[in-house]
Amino acid sequence: MRFIVVRRTKPHPYIKPLIIALSLITGMGLVAILLTLIGAHPFAILVTIAYSFTTPQVVKDMLLLTMLGCALLISFKGAVWNVGAEGQLYTAIIPIVWITLYVAPWSAGSPPHQPILIILASITAAAVFGAMWGAVAGALRAYVGIDEVPVTLIMNYVAYYVVNILVLGPFRGRYVYGYIRTDDLPDAYKLGINVVMQRTGNAFLDGFLEFIRVVVYYAYWVLAAALVALLTWVVFNHTTIGLRIKILGSNPEFLRAVGVDVRKTTVMALALSGLLVGVASAIYYLGDLTRLTYPIQAQTAGYGYLAILVVWLSMLELPLIPLSAYIVSSLRNAGRNMQIFGLGGLESTLVLLGSVLLTYSALRFLTEYEVRVVK
Amino acid sequence: MSYEYVVLKEISKKFAGGVKALDKVTIEIRTGEVLALLGENGAGKSTLVKILYGVYSADEGTIYINEKRVDISSPAEAIRHGIVMVSQHPQLIDTLSVAENLALGLKAFNAFTSIKKVSKFISEKSGKFGVKIDPWEKVWRLTYTQKQLVEMIRAMLLNARVVLLDEALTYLPLEEKRKFYKFIKEFTAKGGSAVIITHKIPEALEAADRIAILRRGRLVGIIEGGSARIDDVRKMMFGESAAEITYGKLQASQPGEEAVIETQDLWITGDFGENAVRGVSLRVREGEVVGIAGIVGNGQRELTQALAGLRKVSRGRILIGGRDVTNRGVRVVREMGVGYIPDSPLAFGISIDNSMTENIAALYQRKSMLVNWSEVREVASSLIEAYKIMIPDAGSLIKVLSGGNIMKVIVSKEINYCRRALIAHNPTRALDEVSAIMVRKSIKERAISDGVAVLLVSEDLDEIYQVSDSIYVMNSGKLYGPFPPDEAERSNVEHLMVI
Ligand SMILES: Nc1ncnc2c1ncn2[C@@H]1O[C@H](COP(=O)(O)OP(=O)(O)O)[C@@H](O)[C@H]1O
Ligand SMILES: [Mg+2]
Repeated sequence: MRFIVVRRTKPHPYIKPLIIALSLITGMGLVAILLTLIGAHPFAILVTIAYSFTTPQVVKDMLLLTMLGCALLISFKGAVWNVGAEGQLYTAIIPIVWITLYVAPWSAGSPPHQPILIILASITAAAVFGAMWGAVAGALRAYVGIDEVPVTLIMNYVAYYVVNILVLGPFRGRYVYGYIRTDDLPDAYKLGINVVMQRTGNAFLDGFLEFIRVVVYYAYWVLAAALVALLTWVVFNHTTIGLRIKILGSNPEFLRAVGVDVRKTTVMALALSGLLVGVASAIYYLGDLTRLTYPIQAQTAGYGYLAILVVWLSMLELPLIPLSAYIVSSLRNAGRNMQIFGLGGLESTLVLLGSVLLTYSALRFLTEYEVRVVK
Repeated sequence: MSYEYVVLKEISKKFAGGVKALDKVTIEIRTGEVLALLGENGAGKSTLVKILYGVYSADEGTIYINEKRVDISSPAEAIRHGIVMVSQHPQLIDTLSVAENLALGLKAFNAFTSIKKVSKFISEKSGKFGVKIDPWEKVWRLTYTQKQLVEMIRAMLLNARVVLLDEALTYLPLEEKRKFYKFIKEFTAKGGSAVIITHKIPEALEAADRIAILRRGRLVGIIEGGSARIDDVRKMMFGESAAEITYGKLQASQPGEEAVIETQDLWITGDFGENAVRGVSLRVREGEVVGIAGIVGNGQRELTQALAGLRKVSRGRILIGGRDVTNRGVRVVREMGVGYIPDSPLAFGISIDNSMTENIAALYQRKSMLVNWSEVREVASSLIEAYKIMIPDAGSLIKVLSGGNIMKVIVSKEINYCRRALIAHNPTRALDEVSAIMVRKSIKERAISDGVAVLLVSEDLDEIYQVSDSIYVMNSGKLYGPFPPDEAERSNVEHLMVI
């Protein structure tokens, strides 16, 4: 008996989700084995990981990562590698802080429709800033010929730097003693629905109610993530720019030969990508972050980088973005929980993510190839 | 004594979209023979040789080599069995020398390892062939013919017992094609076998010992080369449609007065800094088809690319519809209603990782922000019907189509797109006879009924004579002519091509 690998001529209908699931299981197994070797209890590890997939903490991350994943997908489809979501995320927060704290701060006497206007203005401004931050990298790649990967990466640090300067200087809070950070976002501008759940005493029921509470709190996020995903779908399936970005990703020479400006398309891909990052950024700031703290690079949750993993894991398939966002957030959550439960340090998070992604990269070839057994 | 070196037994292959590319095909390849594999576009020829070369695996059926059952799961394995494929596109690395290229390929098979021996072998073989190749020449300096010859020499170096030529000779000029056939004959005389896929039936009749004909995935028959009659072969290949084949001159146009495509003393630099086009001036009037004959690599590619706006002109002017479009880029030219069938169809003509509808939309949907898909689908289905494109549906990815059908998508979308002018470079390459004639007719039709000015550049003289109202010859970047086709002797034109 012998195994041979041959190129698939028919794509397998469920191969992509299958590969993702398989890498997840293998990765978890690997981590369990590794940590068992250094003395942890394998059962405890598996339970912790499984538990981490069901806790309410993943809701927020998953929604945010879905939005950021969609944003990056727009550029990745065009083979333009925007690894600068992190920088775009924080750059886009700058105008929000300015608007919500300085242009239109909330006071008891403000008109009742002000919050909604301010929230919309914040989202718009964030989108514009994100788009500009992306377009700069796009222009450098298209017109100066500098590769966008280092550029977008370096621009992340530039963004940290700019935000830090602002927080240290003009944006430094007036009501926060002892901290270097901005004032808190006024409650009226916060994007979230608070409901109070009565405790019942039944652990299972309480857990479920907590889940409901979190989902309700993030109802706006659910809406926003759905809108961003829908927008991404519309861009790719119904707009000329989306079509051009896809062709840019598969054959830029053909794009040129039909008379499309390849450079402009490159800039547009990065600008659109940054625009959606900006939208996600506004939702994140208004609904969860609510202030910037110095130094930002020590405070960031690294969503901009995790989003790259999300898109990579989705194999650039829009329908798989929410699924892979869910997996990445759960794995991150699992790592955190393992630390909390004393099953390993920070390295266990990395080992977990690493083994899942490693298995995943190893199995990815199965989308194009199949393994057959011959006698 | 000849015997059956390879036997392909009851080979079946089905592709995505339910296309049955091969249906229980049984063919043997004998030692010492030239076997021609004929069939219309999409008949399954490439699929069959790719299975033998280990690129695809068969769904059913078995392969025997020397009466032993074998599994060929990769080209490397095929080469170990002495089976080597040469395709239309040379697989050489441009920046390396010929000898380096060949030595590189051989390392893996431990045949010759010394580059000296390799270079000696190259000089010897190419000398015998009659087209000298310097083994230390960088590959980019070689002509297309030389590159294909290097591919053949590579096969010899690999101790090939069977060479598979999948339209490998399609783009060669006639004279050099003949040399190839001679080369192949010498190879088979020593016990090798050659499988040749071509769309030129007379060639197959002349060169092949046996002719196998495929139709819609089935083997229709195998006939002896000597006894075959061209009409019978065509019938077997095309069935009823064989009656549409004609090489008679198509109806002449009544050109208008106005020049739609005009160049004035055009100079264009090639990829390697040479003067590829040297002072070309030509005029194509409304409704006229102007043909440019010539051997590949004499500046035609640079000329057509410049006309489409893809390549910079170093001197001279290009006018389309009286407007100066010199170095104005592709968009301006395209928006004036110019169709362009490029010389490198897979680079500039289509994006194979996208669907047919997406490819059409990229060209046609240029005004609004939203794509009007129903309009695009309408165009797609009318093209599929008019050009008999074999495609599961208009939303299928181009890469699942056979070479001929990809070409039909490229050509049909451009012929349909042009309103004012069409620049067609080898528009029927890779097409079978019936399809080629259909394409020529529709090009002529656009010229006659819609007044489209057509510049047809082709290495196929039959094609030039069949369609053109006026003929030029291009050689070493210079243009000779125009000649009226009725007066231009074929032998004179051929002479101008090679001087
Ligand atoms: N990779 C593929 N995926 C799906 N269909 C294919 C693929 N390759 C070829 N086909 C289909 O199989 C049929 C035979 O193709 P091919 O062998 O390339 O024909 P040809 O005789 O022109 O060389 C065609 O209908 C083609 O569309
Ligand atoms: Mg073929």
